[in-house]
Amino acid sequence: MLDTSTNASSHSLPIFEIRGLTKVYTTEAGEVHALRGVDLDIVPGEMIVLLGPSGSGKSTLLNILGGLDRATSGAVVFKGLDLAGASDRTLTMYRRRSVGFIFQFFNLTASLTALENVRLITDIAASPMSAEKALTLVGLADRMNHFPAQLSGGQQQRVAVARAIAKRPEVLFCDEPTGSLDSESGVQVLEAIKIVAGEVGATVLIVTHNADIASIADRVIRFSDGRIHTIERNTSKREPRELSW
Amino acid sequence: MRVLDIKLLRDLWRLKWQALAISVLIAVGVAVTVMAYSSQKALSTAREQYYRETRFADIFATLKRAPLSLTRRLAAINGVRAVDPRIIKSGLMEVRGQVRPAIAQIISLPERDEEALNRIVLMAGRLPDARQPHEAVALKTFLDATGLRLGDEVSTVIGGRRITLRIVGAALSPEYIYMPSPGSTLPDDKHQGIFWMTRAAVEEAADLDGAFNAVAIAITPGRNEAAIRAEVDATLAPYGAGVAIPRADQASHAFLEAEFKELKTSGAIFPPIFLIVAAGLVHLVMSRLVDVEREQIGLLKAFGYSDFEAAVPFLRLATLIGLGGAIMGGALGAWLSQGITTLYREFMRFPELTGDFHFAAFAISALLATGLTAAGALVAVRRATRLNPAVAMAPPRPTTYRAGILDGGYFDAMIDPLSRMILRTLFRFPVRSFMTCVGLAASLMVLLATQFVYDSFEVVLDHSYYRIQRWSDQVGLAEVRGPSAVKNLTQLPGVLAAEPIRSIPVIFRANGIEERGGLIGLNPGSELYRPRDEDGQALPLLSDGLILSEALASKLKVGIGDPLLVEVTEGERRELVLTVGRLSHDYSGTPAYLARPALNRLVSEGDVANGVLLLVASDARADFYHALASVPLVAGVVSRDDTVAAFRDIVTRSFSTTMVFYLGFAGAIAFGVSYNASRIAFSERVRDLATLEVLGFTHAETAFVLAGEIVVLALAAMPLGILGGHLLADAIVAAYGRDEMRLPSGISAWTHGVSLLAFAVAIGLSLIIVVRRVFDLDLVSVLKTRD
Ligand SMILES: Nc1ncnc2c1ncn2[C@@H]1O[C@H](COP(=O)(O)OP(=O)(O)OP(=O)(O)O)[C@@H](O)[C@H]1O
Ligand SMILES: [Mg+2]
Repeated sequence: MLDTSTNASSHSLPIFEIRGLTKVYTTEAGEVHALRGVDLDIVPGEMIVLLGPSGSGKSTLLNILGGLDRATSGAVVFKGLDLAGASDRTLTMYRRRSVGFIFQFFNLTASLTALENVRLITDIAASPMSAEKALTLVGLADRMNHFPAQLSGGQQQRVAVARAIAKRPEVLFCDEPTGSLDSESGVQVLEAIKIVAGEVGATVLIVTHNADIASIADRVIRFSDGRIHTIERNTSKREPRELSW
Repeated sequence: MRVLDIKLLRDLWRLKWQALAISVLIAVGVAVTVMAYSSQKALSTAREQYYRETRFADIFATLKRAPLSLTRRLAAINGVRAVDPRIIKSGLMEVRGQVRPAIAQIISLPERDEEALNRIVLMAGRLPDARQPHEAVALKTFLDATGLRLGDEVSTVIGGRRITLRIVGAALSPEYIYMPSPGSTLPDDKHQGIFWMTRAAVEEAADLDGAFNAVAIAITPGRNEAAIRAEVDATLAPYGAGVAIPRADQASHAFLEAEFKELKTSGAIFPPIFLIVAAGLVHLVMSRLVDVEREQIGLLKAFGYSDFEAAVPFLRLATLIGLGGAIMGGALGAWLSQGITTLYREFMRFPELTGDFHFAAFAISALLATGLTAAGALVAVRRATRLNPAVAMAPPRPTTYRAGILDGGYFDAMIDPLSRMILRTLFRFPVRSFMTCVGLAASLMVLLATQFVYDSFEVVLDHSYYRIQRWSDQVGLAEVRGPSAVKNLTQLPGVLAAEPIRSIPVIFRANGIEERGGLIGLNPGSELYRPRDEDGQALPLLSDGLILSEALASKLKVGIGDPLLVEVTEGERRELVLTVGRLSHDYSGTPAYLARPALNRLVSEGDVANGVLLLVASDARADFYHALASVPLVAGVVSRDDTVAAFRDIVTRSFSTTMVFYLGFAGAIAFGVSYNASRIAFSERVRDLATLEVLGFTHAETAFVLAGEIVVLALAAMPLGILGGHLLADAIVAAYGRDEMRLPSGISAWTHGVSLLAFAVAIGLSLIIVVRRVFDLDLVSVLKTRD
């Protein structure tokens, strides 16, 4: 169905082609225009950081790219597959095979341990790494059998990261992966993401409020009011371990 | 094991109390069904077996006297399988320790075993010795009720001669499983003595050498019973026989049949109600339970689990809970039907009665209950899977509350913020609140409808024995007598009033329908027996028309002014045409009344009677009965007080037990609904509640918010449940309407009180359990994770 092999060359065809993307939420209080027309091409293996004020539509874009939500209008094409017109089944397979997600709110399953939360994904993924390995990558080797309620906020977030990378996804969406982490574990998380991305040549989109993180990206996209404000290409890309905040 | 299965087990454990409460609901529905059907099955199996083993007859006839040689002619009738000629004689018998004399029937034992029908089953002692003419086997239930023992001697007067009987054995008989006393539909063990003696001994006592005055006949299965009975009638007619009685009208069998029918009726009414109510509630609770897990479903979908894969664990959970409940219910039902069977063993007097398990009832109710549980989960799961995962995954967005009708103006001042929280939640989820309210109302409805039956019995007793029949004793005469017989009785000690009564067995025919019954001839202006109409007004007796009970009129499909064909089944067997003059309202039996002089005229007799209604001073009863025992030609005496006592005894024994179960079950339903509703409200609002506590509200104030919701719903459920209870009671009355006994509708204040109390207790208990959780709330872990 979907081709999971990737080619990290920046000269290849875009993995995502986004054209005129809009999203309108209709609520009782009125319409909310979360996205007002987004155009963007993303190439395989690219690392993109999304910056922007709260409410500017970053999570909304990620949700649509990740196949969690549908656009109101416009097109999102993933390697020739039109996500806007895809059936529920196709979207499910897309999420299952190709997408790794780190949610802004960690969304761990409370009744499962850290290890089991990760296994929830490795159970259905095509060629995952072991759940233990994923947790080790994020520095939680000694916390595998703890339940979410027994972990700190930052540790919960790292479980969520391990859960997202364990399936070796083709594309990895990270909604504020370091939001509640101190600089040291934040670096650890970013390194884990980078390692996994490097291993499979994954494309990575990171939403953050932390402008420092922008320096590890190939491109930095600034969002405001549902639109892309600016796109800059990083000339001096840094390694995560060089960061601190 | 897949992680989803681990999650399933953990969730089941986390939800164990809720799962248990749901299982209890299911168990109740299944248990009631299994109990009702299993005990019915056990009873009918036992009766069939008993009838088969004792060769219970199909046709019964009594006559004056016929030579034994006539037996061969009866046996020659096509389709007759066996003929058992007997001698049956009855007289009064004084029993020590009992005020009122008993009726003793002496029956001859068959001489040749191959002919024997209605065989007795010896439970203790032995059969009479042919060389000892006074030896007798007595009906065990009579011995048990009177305290008489093997070896005791009793005496009775038969045909003017006193004979003494020595009891050597105790037996049960298929013919006398129940012995309704004459003039009553209820058995009266203490006053119904049945004795079997050798044929030689009875022949001598009854002066019937080489003859018989009763016959039991068995027919080949599948033959036309009515046709054979007509031939039997023709054969016996010259010998002073009344119309032969089919098994269906044999007193003991008919009573048992009515009892079975009652069980069947309650078995047909209550289990479906319980099952439907339970299943509906389970459906409701299950779907709310899954609603709470909505985010988990969204999460699984976000990771690429398909709708089906995400739904499976919840369906499994529901099925597990459903199956658990069904198995619990099956076991409970089996246990209860064992218990009930044990009760019936004593009450129904079958020599052998073993519990049985109605597997089909179990399978169907279990399937239904489990299916509905799973369906409840499925509905909710579908609701969740239809959601876009992004929505299900969104941070716990505060529910949109709106200012409702109760806001603004005076209410702002009157209602504190916590109460307002309760009201807004109720109005924010109107469907859910309504469904919970309906669930609670359903439990109250079942409580009321199961308890109201007691009220009915009291009304029946009052109506039948204190308003219509106002005599204290009714004496039956062995033959039709003139006015002197009444005079004789009037002179007995303690007698305050006496009225002759004439009753004649008849068959009513109208619209192609046939009903066996009797005409009751009462004195015009009778003080001691007053048929009444629906409004309780006494109806004056007519000399040119019948007062027909509504029940009989509806069975025969006749109304006031319609003609009715009445065939007298004794003496000359006349056929009369009578008009329905008025309709009377009776709760039991199907009487038809006529003025006594008119009745006597119809059968061309003078001023005669075959019974006397008496009002006896209660402090003179002992003297009265003692004197009565030596009055000639008295065939029996029925006492109102004893009949009422017997009625209450039967109601308590056969009915109360089942009703107590139903009370418990209905209480369990109320508990299950309210526990689940408050427990789910707790999971849904645990964050709100924890936040309230963080803000400085006390446990009690927080608990108030949680409990208040249920209390408001319970209060709203009360009028709804009471209304439903009344409707259901009416439906039950209608269902019983076709039975031998009709129930009046109307629920007493007492029953309302008991039901509301049970309702309140069940809800209170469940609230206590849930509210305790508020006090144990671990604020940190609640606010830290979503669940
Ligand atoms: N389900 C929804 N219904 C209505 N409006 C929504 C919904 N989800 C998001 N919005 C609105 O859409 C806009 C964009 O939201 P989004 O979550 O994408 O912002 P964001 O850039 O991720 O902000 P933050 O940095 O605070 O996470 C906001 O104004 C938000 O209120
Ligand atoms: Mg966001």
